[in-house]
Amino acid sequence: MAQRNIFPRLVPYFFLIGPLILYLIWVIGPMFYTIYLSFTNWDGVSSPALIGWRNYQKLFRDPVFYISLGNNLRWMVCFITIPVVGGLALALTLNRNIPGAKFFKTSFYAPMVLSLVVCGLIWSWMYHPAKGLINETFRAVGLDSLAQGWLSDRRLVMWAIIAVGIWRQVGYVMVLYLAGLQGIDPTYVDASRVDGCNSWQTIWHVILPLLSPVTVVVVVISIIDSLRAFDLVSVMTRGGPYYSSSVLANFMYIEAFNNYKMGYGASISVILFLLSAVFIFIYLWRVLKTELEY
Amino acid sequence: MKRYMFPLLAVVTVLTMVVACQPQTVTVPVEKRVEVPVQQTVEVERIVAKRVVIYNSYMSDPAPREADAALVRMFEEEHPDIDVIHSTIAHEDFKQAIRAYLTASTPPDVMTWFAGNRARFFIDKGLIMDISDVWEKEGWNESYPKGFRALSTVNDKQYFLPASWYWWAVYYRKDIFDQYGLKPPQTWDEFLQVCETLKKNGITPITIGTKYPWTAAGWFDYLNMRVNGPEFHINLMLGKERYDDPRVKRVFTDYWAPLIQKGYFLEDAAAYTWSEALQFMIEGKAAMYLMGDFLRDSYPDELEGNLDFFRFPIIDPKMPIGEEAPTDGFFIAANSQHPEEAKLFLAFLGSVKAQQYFADTLGRLPTNMGVDTSKFTPMQKKGLELIQGADYVSQFYDRDTTPEMAEKGMAGFMEFWDNPDKIDDILARLEAARQEIFAGQ
Repeated sequence: MAQRNIFPRLVPYFFLIGPLILYLIWVIGPMFYTIYLSFTNWDGVSSPALIGWRNYQKLFRDPVFYISLGNNLRWMVCFITIPVVGGLALALTLNRNIPGAKFFKTSFYAPMVLSLVVCGLIWSWMYHPAKGLINETFRAVGLDSLAQGWLSDRRLVMWAIIAVGIWRQVGYVMVLYLAGLQGIDPTYVDASRVDGCNSWQTIWHVILPLLSPVTVVVVVISIIDSLRAFDLVSVMTRGGPYYSSSVLANFMYIEAFNNYKMGYGASISVILFLLSAVFIFIYLWRVLKTELEY
Repeated sequence: MKRYMFPLLAVVTVLTMVVACQPQTVTVPVEKRVEVPVQQTVEVERIVAKRVVIYNSYMSDPAPREADAALVRMFEEEHPDIDVIHSTIAHEDFKQAIRAYLTASTPPDVMTWFAGNRARFFIDKGLIMDISDVWEKEGWNESYPKGFRALSTVNDKQYFLPASWYWWAVYYRKDIFDQYGLKPPQTWDEFLQVCETLKKNGITPITIGTKYPWTAAGWFDYLNMRVNGPEFHINLMLGKERYDDPRVKRVFTDYWAPLIQKGYFLEDAAAYTWSEALQFMIEGKAAMYLMGDFLRDSYPDELEGNLDFFRFPIIDPKMPIGEEAPTDGFFIAANSQHPEEAKLFLAFLGSVKAQQYFADTLGRLPTNMGVDTSKFTPMQKKGLELIQGADYVSQFYDRDTTPEMAEKGMAGFMEFWDNPDKIDDILARLEAARQEIFAGQ
């Protein structure tokens, strides 16, 4: 009897063996190897020699590290505010049966279908100082002073890149909220109407609280996306001019694969991993918790 | 029964997976073990008839790739008993993969690479084979110019075969110069005069795209060589001179900064790649471009009649003249498994026949002095004269110094471009970087 009870419980683990082995080889193994490398001076040619905490000491003195970290933080702040608010507003608007809602939903989601590299290239052309769509438009309407070197001015470049990220992210957040709105029982909304709420009160007191699990997921995903930002920077500026648009992932890539400082690059990725891990754990904890509720 | 169906199915699935996996994981080595003798027996048969040399090349652009393959065919025709296993790897990928190739127990035998410091790094680590005997046997010590021989030599031994090179110069639009009655400047004052005239007439004097900042490094190389001489420049590249030396600062404050502050360079240069910046010259909005000869590959053929180049203007006439002439070539991996064949192949690549073919099909300049230059285009001849008139030939900033120093240095140049006043700060930081980077070498 006892055997028969245990057996079905073990079944999922049989299925998991295959993927787990692959996961160990391709994800967990390299992760620990990277941590090991971060304590070495490996240059890709010589055999790695352990150098203790030297990479980390150098990292914490490196101004480029702080520039990159600061840019990641800016990215994060922008990502958890603008796309979340914008996506929610779009979702609330398009969730009603207004004419053309499907068209707008599709249009706003469309950038998400493009790879980040393609987005970066398209926007590089739009930002082109002499012939780009943006500057040409400003010049056409006589606002010449607003025409900027979007990707060459160190004060603007980071915001110009983040704007592209937001442009792509809004549609994604919108879809997540739309899915959340579909899950809200209409009787709650009806009940609030019966109790005399106006639209604003319904949104504020009924819909938003019911959407809060979605909001947590959205915020955490946005944070993780902002930490792993790499593609746009790499395509649009490669971190330039002089590191002013550098983010941690791009900084790591240049140190490891351009400067051949594999050990130093590994230490950057360990820091990036620790930062991401905090938010990933929050996310997983939240997801598991909501799953249990059902 | 139904209750048992699912677990049963699961067990069966897992078992099939295990069974399916096991033979694979177990037999992979077995299969290899079977395969290797098979290959070896083939090779044993071949040793009588056919020998092998493995050649990895980064000539991945269409035209060089074709010429490269043609060279391999020519060699195989000359040596019917040798088989060249030829792989072409994308240029950027090759730069990262070479470290794995060189440290492998069975590396490719012959590889393409950059002459100078980039090769020196591997030579010092003992990863590149001494080929002094090939130099001696092929008479290259006589048929190659001294500069190229020096470029291949470490401690009196030759390790490298320089095979082709191109020159750097200031390219300019002849028609624009004619329109404003300008002549190619030879001195710094004349150069500033040309810039001023162009600027006054609404033409951007100098175009440049610094999205990838190596283009700015070209300006640093030339200004430093013209102001402080090539010897000082190369010592700086090797980490033997200080970045906060007042001589270095002079390059920035006295020569580079005025060009930036007077607006002689293209506006928003940091937004463009080098080829995007070339558009302004093609459209006639900019007049000059300090660039390598590969600029002509991207220049429309029908407009090339308007294109010419001049030597970077002389600043201090007392200084020897240094020119940039990045050189590509070949080497043999130190633990090559087929050293005899590799040396034969290398000897062919450095021969007059191979170099002549390469020069004629690609328009690159050959290193072997035996190559017949009578059929060269006027541009090629002029480039050849430009470099032959130089006292010293440098490779380029990111080839002459270490990759990390180059990365930091070029970022410093870009920061200076934005804030010429912060030069003291920037040079102090570069000096700190230099001390750290060259400390271990």
